[in-house]
Amino acid sequence: MRAVAISLLSMALTTVVLANAYYQKKQFYPSVVYITKSNPSMAVIYIQAFILVFLTGKVMRKVFFGQLRTAEFEHLMERAWYAITETCLAFTVFRDEFTPKFVALFTLLLFLKSFHWLAEDRVDYMERSPVISWLFHIRVLTLLFVLGSADFYFLQHSYLSTMAVGPSVQLVFGFEYAILYTMVANIAIKYVLHTIDFYSEAPWANKAVFLLYTELAMGLIKVVLYVAFVIIMVKIYTLPLFAFRPLYYASRNFKKAFNNVILSRRAIHNMNTLYADATPEELQAADNVCIICREEMTTSSKKLPCNHIFHTACLRSWFQRQQTCPTCRLNILRTPTGTRPEQRPQAQPVPNPFGGGPIPFVNPFHPLLNQNVQVPIPDLNQAAAQPPPSAPPTSTTQGTTQQGSVPPPFSMPPFMPFPFLPFMSPPPMPPTNFASLSADELRRMEGNERENVEARIKCLQNIQVMLDAAVLMMNQYSAAVATSGSMPSTSNTTQPSGDNVSSTPQDSNDSSKQSFEANVSDVSNAENEADNSNTEVHATSSTSEVSANGVSPEEEVRRRRLQRFQQPVEQQ
Amino acid sequence: MAGSALRRLMAEYKQLTLNPPEGIIAGPINEENFFEWEALITGPEGTCFEGGVFPAKLIFPCDYPLSPPKMQFTCEMFHPNIYSDGRVCISILHAPGDDPMGYESSAERWSPVQSVEKILLSVVSMLAEPNDESGANVDAAKMWRENREEFNKIADRIVRKTLGIYIRE
Ligand SMILES: [Zn+2]
Ligand SMILES: [Zn+2]
Repeated sequence: MRAVAISLLSMALTTVVLANAYYQKKQFYPSVVYITKSNPSMAVIYIQAFILVFLTGKVMRKVFFGQLRTAEFEHLMERAWYAITETCLAFTVFRDEFTPKFVALFTLLLFLKSFHWLAEDRVDYMERSPVISWLFHIRVLTLLFVLGSADFYFLQHSYLSTMAVGPSVQLVFGFEYAILYTMVANIAIKYVLHTIDFYSEAPWANKAVFLLYTELAMGLIKVVLYVAFVIIMVKIYTLPLFAFRPLYYASRNFKKAFNNVILSRRAIHNMNTLYADATPEELQAADNVCIICREEMTTSSKKLPCNHIFHTACLRSWFQRQQTCPTCRLNILRTPTGTRPEQRPQAQPVPNPFGGGPIPFVNPFHPLLNQNVQVPIPDLNQAAAQPPPSAPPTSTTQGTTQQGSVPPPFSMPPFMPFPFLPFMSPPPMPPTNFASLSADELRRMEGNERENVEARIKCLQNIQVMLDAAVLMMNQYSAAVATSGSMPSTSNTTQPSGDNVSSTPQDSNDSSKQSFEANVSDVSNAENEADNSNTEVHATSSTSEVSANGVSPEEEVRRRRLQRFQQPVEQQ
Repeated sequence: MAGSALRRLMAEYKQLTLNPPEGIIAGPINEENFFEWEALITGPEGTCFEGGVFPAKLIFPCDYPLSPPKMQFTCEMFHPNIYSDGRVCISILHAPGDDPMGYESSAERWSPVQSVEKILLSVVSMLAEPNDESGANVDAAKMWRENREEFNKIADRIVRKTLGIYIRE
């Protein structure tokens, strides 16, 4: 409404100015001269020009974007505000060249910039909407083409004029359009990636990686451009204050992209080398739903040392953020002395009976957990019913629930023991070549040749190393029990999974907690067998029900879920 | 195929519609954009917020569920864990690593295991049992500790306001 009033007013003023000039001079050229000589008239004309630009912008926005979303509009306003302040700062450097043409060029730059921002937001929006119309594609493609050509034209123009006339304000425009040009390229790449993803049948796992590298390359180009710009400006004019904010943001984004790429590469590497693929049986035994994306796991899933299973792609993107198990927050980092900042927060206490922190102890052993569990050594299997490395964690916490060489997928409690104890001595590294004793190797151990004896000795050494490790773990465990005086009871050990649910800190003195706890321990056996997600859904419904204070449909749902949990127990 | 964040949000929406937790309604404001949700939360029974229906907005990041959503009440609220502009400050909404209050353990923080449903249930329990140590709203925390009667009065006024019943003070 106000905009309409202002444009009408400006229109009226312009008409008055034009009419006045024509009335005084009666001819075209004298009128023009009259207007340009008169300052008030020129002011009116300038205002009119700005309003015309604004109206054109509005029309173009309507054509290319339709209705703007609130977030897009706010984003646009915020960025426009910064751009205008930076332009004002730039004016101070180039005050000698401060002419109407200069102002007009800056206005045009700002105008084009705003369309770049909108295009960027709109293409990012593709990831958020389940419906992408043909109109959308046509709009984005034409817009990208128009913006790209405009940027290229102005870039070329400022390059030629700088070459011809020497450094001038065109330098600034050249850099600005170069930046905008990389932005168009970035948007176009993202658009292509999003489009491919949108029309492909299966989820495209590698898209995130492509986006990561695009981000990195574009970030690098931007930083280089800005640094070059600042250096040139310092050499020719003075310190370009107006370029510092964008330079800062560009370098920050680049740093972030760089870190992301490194973390992603590390995550992929860890994934490929450290964690075993989940077998179909394990998938069957688990709920088969990946807790990260809530979709079925059919192919390429990984099992973590804590026996939680996720999609490989989901896990990779999560490990880029944090090196913990999403379900139980077990720190899965192989190197406890890592210096990544992401590790710090996880060093905070986790509410499990042993405290939290990096868990150095688990990691050396997980290859054993994954592969060497069924060590096919006849003697040893007889002597110790369970393989030593996996025995302490399982048997101490819930040894009653299962026996056998392959631990069921979720039999592990949602934490690993011995997390905070420092090492007195480093644990012996388990043998790596221990699991796969083929018939051939077994045959090699029989007989009296030197080679056979050596093979037997080696095998025995391996066993000794594993036993040493087991003894060490037991020692640490008993030390842990001794030091933590207030060892929680068994019902409390199931608590962490429940605590994830009642995640508000104030819950600790909640009056409903009692019944909630009882509830959890009630089904603790079932919980241990079932997927954590389900238990938590169950637990949450029980909290809400407690607060609702009465029998409700949830009661029924809960009972049914309970029954579902108990089935796997009975089957075992 | 839509992005994984979008697919997960659609799955959660479906789950919430098929099996809604009591006293909570939530869903996208506009089904063309699944990253902005609206939620209606009824005040838990037996608390000073009983009977109120509180509207809130949930904004999800592009990388949901790797990062938590943001939640903001769109009605007036007076609560120790809600900023005066309506933003909710509970640990489940904070990614491990950012700890504005410096008191939360990482186990209570955001992880992909959490969900919209769990967030909303946590908010309900937060309404029932404020944590006056977090202090997103210091005045409310102080009043909750020291002058419960006054706090209940304000809560009652807010409850009435959300129901469209205005009383003269
Ligand atoms: Zn997944
Ligand atoms: Zn786990």
